[in-house]
Amino acid sequence: MKSKRKLLFRLIALLLIIGIAAWMFVIGRGHTIYFDNKPLEANGETYSSPYQIQVLVDGESVCKLKEGDRGMATTMGQDFEMILAITQEKDAKKQGVKVSLKLPYNMDGIIINLPALLGGASEDVYRSEFIQTVVEEDDEQAPTGSDEFEMPMGDE
Amino acid sequence: MNKSGKTKFNLGSFLRRSSVPIMFIIICAFCIPLSGLSPSYLINEIVTRMGRNAFLILSLLIPIMAGMGLNFGMTLGAMAGEIGLILASDWQIIGIPGMILAMILSIPISILLGLFCGKILNMAKGREMITSYIMAFFINGVYLFVVLYMMGSVIPIKHNNIKLPRGYGIRNTVSLLSMRQKLDNLIPLTINGVKIPVATFIVIAVLCLFIMWFRRTKLGQDMRAVGQDMEVARDAGINVERTRIISIIMSTILAGIGMIIYLQNMGNIATYSSHSQIGMFCIAALLVGGASVDKASIGNVFLGVILFHLMFIVAPKAGAAITGDSMIGEYFRVFVSYAVITIALIMYETSKRKQKKMGGEALRQAQLEEEKK
Repeated sequence: MKSKRKLLFRLIALLLIIGIAAWMFVIGRGHTIYFDNKPLEANGETYSSPYQIQVLVDGESVCKLKEGDRGMATTMGQDFEMILAITQEKDAKKQGVKVSLKLPYNMDGIIINLPALLGGASEDVYRSEFIQTVVEEDDEQAPTGSDEFEMPMGDE
Repeated sequence: MNKSGKTKFNLGSFLRRSSVPIMFIIICAFCIPLSGLSPSYLINEIVTRMGRNAFLILSLLIPIMAGMGLNFGMTLGAMAGEIGLILASDWQIIGIPGMILAMILSIPISILLGLFCGKILNMAKGREMITSYIMAFFINGVYLFVVLYMMGSVIPIKHNNIKLPRGYGIRNTVSLLSMRQKLDNLIPLTINGVKIPVATFIVIAVLCLFIMWFRRTKLGQDMRAVGQDMEVARDAGINVERTRIISIIMSTILAGIGMIIYLQNMGNIATYSSHSQIGMFCIAALLVGGASVDKASIGNVFLGVILFHLMFIVAPKAGAAITGDSMIGEYFRVFVSYAVITIALIMYETSKRKQKKMGGEALRQAQLEEEKK
């Protein structure tokens, strides 16, 4: 009886830990979002870019994008909220727009075309995956390097 | 002991027991003015280093309680923590959730390594420290095999900024920018320009409370009994081997979690070297705090971190001020780290022999008295 109860407690603890790990997977998934203020043509429609878009995430200005600029921000989780302060033309008044997006779990880098997003385009038009280009490098020698505790006479 | 049951204060024995901290206080008192570093800078550095290292050093207390000496095998836990962090980084789990996931991933690895280490140490009773020290080198080879050859080929690693350009193996340095000081800055607090990592200190405080509570549990009492005398503990019905293995497993798990806290503060993993000296320096810090091979307390941990790291900060500058070469200070602090471990081991061995001799002497006296009768 006692051993059964012990086993049950252990099983519950194990399940709890697995549950926490799974929860961390969901809430902790990081994404890098790239904001493009570039004109876009898709499905026969043209989305022209405004003079300037300022992107604010969590109340902090992440980037100010003139036409043709790209900015980026890092976010955690799949729900992303930002405020876009749009200046349509030079010296014009800023207009604030609150945008909420659902980010796909499997994408590390996500490009969002802001003019298309603001123009009401569909998700597959304004959103695309950022794929990092692989740069050929020389093989680095792995087991070296240091931290503050490294001994000057280390391996000798 | 006096009539009221309190131990009489003995200055000689106090000085003998506290010789290492006193020596360090003198060194620091001598080096601080020479270094020219401002008090606020020193306090800032000490607070940061306390948050970074205290958890790791606390992980050493449990094996000492169980009479297994200084656990040089804590490096095994550090390796498990690093593996957890590498995987969490590759899966792009960032911030505090990334740290928690890394901790969860490190736990089963730490349990396996701790179990293995504990079983080996049970075969080498009385020689635990040297065995765990050598074991750390052995497991480092296994770690290299896993990280350098299996990751990317057998264990999937997706991101090129983690993988070596050849397609398998992990780079020299893995960036933890997405986790950097997330725990330290979780509850931001600055007092007079001194940044206090409140959340990290809360985690450390929880561990301190856990250790204090654990000492009073049945298992904690068993560990203390085993630490005092294995044979007596065995006669009392305690499963000595199992208790010793549990103490090593606990230490390894805590070392893994401590390594994650340490690395989140640093902001990157030196994949092949971060863990290599960590055991040595944590042990040195604990000994500097006045601990010995068979006795250590939470107070020793904090005093050790303060004194040892104060010496770490001021020694290069003081060395440069005295000799014009900061490398002298660097060598000095390395020399002192090894020296303090050596002194502690010699003192332990001397007191053990002294006790043995005194025991023998008492036995001889008893036999003589018996013969007289």
